[in-house]
Amino acid sequence: MIERRFQLRWPLGASGSLLMLWALPVILLLAYVLPFAGVTLWSVTRPEPGFENYVRIVTGADFQAIFVRTAWVCLLSTAITIPIAYLLAYYWVMGSARRSRLIEICIFIPFWISVLVRAFGWVVILRNNGLASDVAAAFGLNGLSTGRNVWSVITGMVHFMVPFAILPMASVMRKIDSRVLLAALGLGCRPLGVFWRVYLPMSLPGVFSALAMTFIFSLGFFVTPMILGGGRVVLTAESVFVQMFQTANWGLGAALGVVLLVVVFAILWLSQRVMRIEQLMSR
Amino acid sequence: MQRAIIEPNPTPPADSKAASPSKPGSLLQHPNSVAAEVRNLRKIYNVGSPQAHEALKDVNLSIRANEFFTLLGPSGCGKTTLLRILGGFEMLTSGTCRIFGEDVSRLPPEARPVNTVFQQYALFPHMTVRRNIAFGLEMLGKPKAEVERTVERMLDLVHMREYADRRPDTMSGGQRQRVALARALAPQPKLLLLDEPLSALDLKLRQKMRLELKSLQRETGITFIFVTHDQEEALAMSDRVAVISNGHLQQVGTPEDIYEQPQSRFVADFIGESNLIEAKVADSAGSEAAFDIEGFGQVQAPIGQRVEVGQQVWLSIRPERLVLGAVHREGPQATVTDRTYLGNAVEYHLRAGKHALTARSPRGGLRGRQDFAPGDAVSLGFEPGSIKVLLS
Amino acid sequence: MFGRSRLGGFFAGLAGLFLLLPLVAVIPFSFTPKRFLSMPDGEYSLRHYLAIFDPDTWLASIGTSTLVAILSSVIATALAAAFSIGIWLRRPASGRFLIGLVLLPIIVPPVTSAVALYFLLAQIGLLDTIPGLVLSHVVMIVPFSVIAILGALSRLDRNLELAARNLGASQLQSIFRVILPNIRFGLFAAWFVSLVMSWEESSVTLFVSGVNVITLPKRIWDNLRLDLDPAVAAISVIMIVATTLVILLRKSET
Repeated sequence: MIERRFQLRWPLGASGSLLMLWALPVILLLAYVLPFAGVTLWSVTRPEPGFENYVRIVTGADFQAIFVRTAWVCLLSTAITIPIAYLLAYYWVMGSARRSRLIEICIFIPFWISVLVRAFGWVVILRNNGLASDVAAAFGLNGLSTGRNVWSVITGMVHFMVPFAILPMASVMRKIDSRVLLAALGLGCRPLGVFWRVYLPMSLPGVFSALAMTFIFSLGFFVTPMILGGGRVVLTAESVFVQMFQTANWGLGAALGVVLLVVVFAILWLSQRVMRIEQLMSR
Repeated sequence: MQRAIIEPNPTPPADSKAASPSKPGSLLQHPNSVAAEVRNLRKIYNVGSPQAHEALKDVNLSIRANEFFTLLGPSGCGKTTLLRILGGFEMLTSGTCRIFGEDVSRLPPEARPVNTVFQQYALFPHMTVRRNIAFGLEMLGKPKAEVERTVERMLDLVHMREYADRRPDTMSGGQRQRVALARALAPQPKLLLLDEPLSALDLKLRQKMRLELKSLQRETGITFIFVTHDQEEALAMSDRVAVISNGHLQQVGTPEDIYEQPQSRFVADFIGESNLIEAKVADSAGSEAAFDIEGFGQVQAPIGQRVEVGQQVWLSIRPERLVLGAVHREGPQATVTDRTYLGNAVEYHLRAGKHALTARSPRGGLRGRQDFAPGDAVSLGFEPGSIKVLLS
Repeated sequence: MFGRSRLGGFFAGLAGLFLLLPLVAVIPFSFTPKRFLSMPDGEYSLRHYLAIFDPDTWLASIGTSTLVAILSSVIATALAAAFSIGIWLRRPASGRFLIGLVLLPIIVPPVTSAVALYFLLAQIGLLDTIPGLVLSHVVMIVPFSVIAILGALSRLDRNLELAARNLGASQLQSIFRVILPNIRFGLFAAWFVSLVMSWEESSVTLFVSGVNVITLPKRIWDNLRLDLDPAVAAISVIMIVATTLVILLRKSET
């Protein structure tokens, strides 16, 4: 017989690695997916059984106003975020070593700092009698409305999302072979033409994933809008918080959470379709 | 047909204890016994799915103890799969796999008396050379003193003593190769598997390592199973070679056998170069037969198997055994289409009817052989016994 | 190189300044000698930095945040490592599905996650407790650990594990002696990222705690909502300086 070797073995034999693999998914199923099912249940049972909550969300004028506001605030902040992020990603990847380092620092310091601290920074700048109004006053622009309004919310959201949007774009840009660009230059294309006709199309996949990510992120967070909007610019995510803790309307809050999730998954599904089509067309 | 080529079926020893009488420490083991044996081995990947792929189709093979045995074939032929099944990294689909008589089909890799030298060496990057070599011994639970002694011996064996405390990522390909060998040999496996270990090295180093590997095998007396797609490597090092193609075992034999007596078109073509010519049996008498080649004439060749008159066969002739001469007699003729100077030989590309042939003579024009230029007509001569008759 | 126009570079510089602006803006406010948030005019004071050391408010919250962050990052990293190595070793057919499930908390809007976790903790009676908060944080930060560790494993040569097994190591031994030592940087990154994520977590924290257990983000939140205590500015400056130092140190190392 072959000699049996000294062995440190799994307490449960070969199923040890199975246990290892499944521990986390099972915990998440129990502590996350199952409670979500419970939330869905709340949404159709509180305050009383039925689809009352969903009907209110769809038909209520107050909620329709919230949804419309959410949609355009999120679209607008995404539309502002993407070009800023593209510019930074471009110079991070393609810029000179020194500029690239500086940009990297500008990206990662805010990236690692709490969303609350960043929102607070904007409060300091934008509130009435804050830095911005002082500067405006210095230019003779008295009475310029700053403080708690839609524009503060959008500023804060853009600031939050730019670093996140840079990462997928930069990772695509890094994979662009610089010899392709040299080849285009060698074929007589002018530098700006190389950018528009070669570089930009090649970096589009990164732009698309940044777009989807930014929009989804902007739908879901409520900390920045609540601080910078101060209750005057209520977005969907914030209204969940309000329904749960201020009006104690748990069923309605739960229903809003479910609706938000459905919308996010729809966008994800759609953006994947779009990207697949885009890949097909580029072939 | 396939089965007939393979092996003089060695019956596995009935008593498994008799198969491994040696102590684990002894180096020379079981002369003439069977080191590894697979019977009716099949391996299908992704069973039941649309991507199901049969990598090994009913393979029978036995490898003797103390042998340097090579599995040779083009990439994707199944040779690596066979090696991985022996090592326990892959489960076989059906059949049996025995190592020194014990059925190991269901054993995990760590319970097999087998060590492997991996293609890219797979040295542990976080350990020094010394710790790499000691790893297998520590896993066996050997006492510390013995581990140290064996590691020192291994370092000497592969001439790596001065690198003992370096890490693998600071070393060259050849040095890593030696460490990988030492690591695999240290636990004194009964079987050493080598998965294309030379493919990452450059040509000069590869040739040097061939000699080292061969002498290492002789010194240690451990059975080596070596996988390669390089036929030159296989012929240079092996005691016996198994040629595999497309999941089938094509032929097993000594390097001479494989080269001189190919038994199928695949082997004739894959090992060295061959002119393969389609022919029909015109007449057969005893151990010799005559063959008709279209647009070429008739040739005689010895036959190993019975053939029927009118049967379609393939004839194989090595380029260096095709002798060219001036046209002065009856017999097959050809026209030179191209001449290539190769340094130690000259290669002629010929056209004879619809057949394209290659002939090679050592330094054309020397040693009494004539040199020819493109456009020349030549007569073809065959050295005695140079034509092999292939039925498949 | 092509296309480094002066104009583009100028705008990139502006964008970079935009990212740093709110962080720089809070610095002067933290030195105000006044009781309320204001720009110091000529007079500076460290009184708000001293206020951080009040054991009943800020210091208590820093302690709570530290405890929760350490516990949940260690648990999340351990679970993520077990899961990722399991995926790497077994390559199960359900792998894509399992990874998708584990990454769910990143994709799902944080409010929805918060409502689900609120529901869970309400059911099992752990609302507003340290264990409840740790559980919620583990769920929210574990995807980041999984991403970091799977990334490290994808760069690991599969043959290393086979080599270890081949040399007689059991699966458990090969995990501890070969796999884990070779992904140690990935593990550290995973732990560090999840530590920071937990330390900063605000959306779920606001739902599931706040009366007995007050983390630092929760306390900052309350101050931002009610009155603007300059101590928030002091805390912010400390966090900004610490982050900047860590980033600059890491840069100079590489």
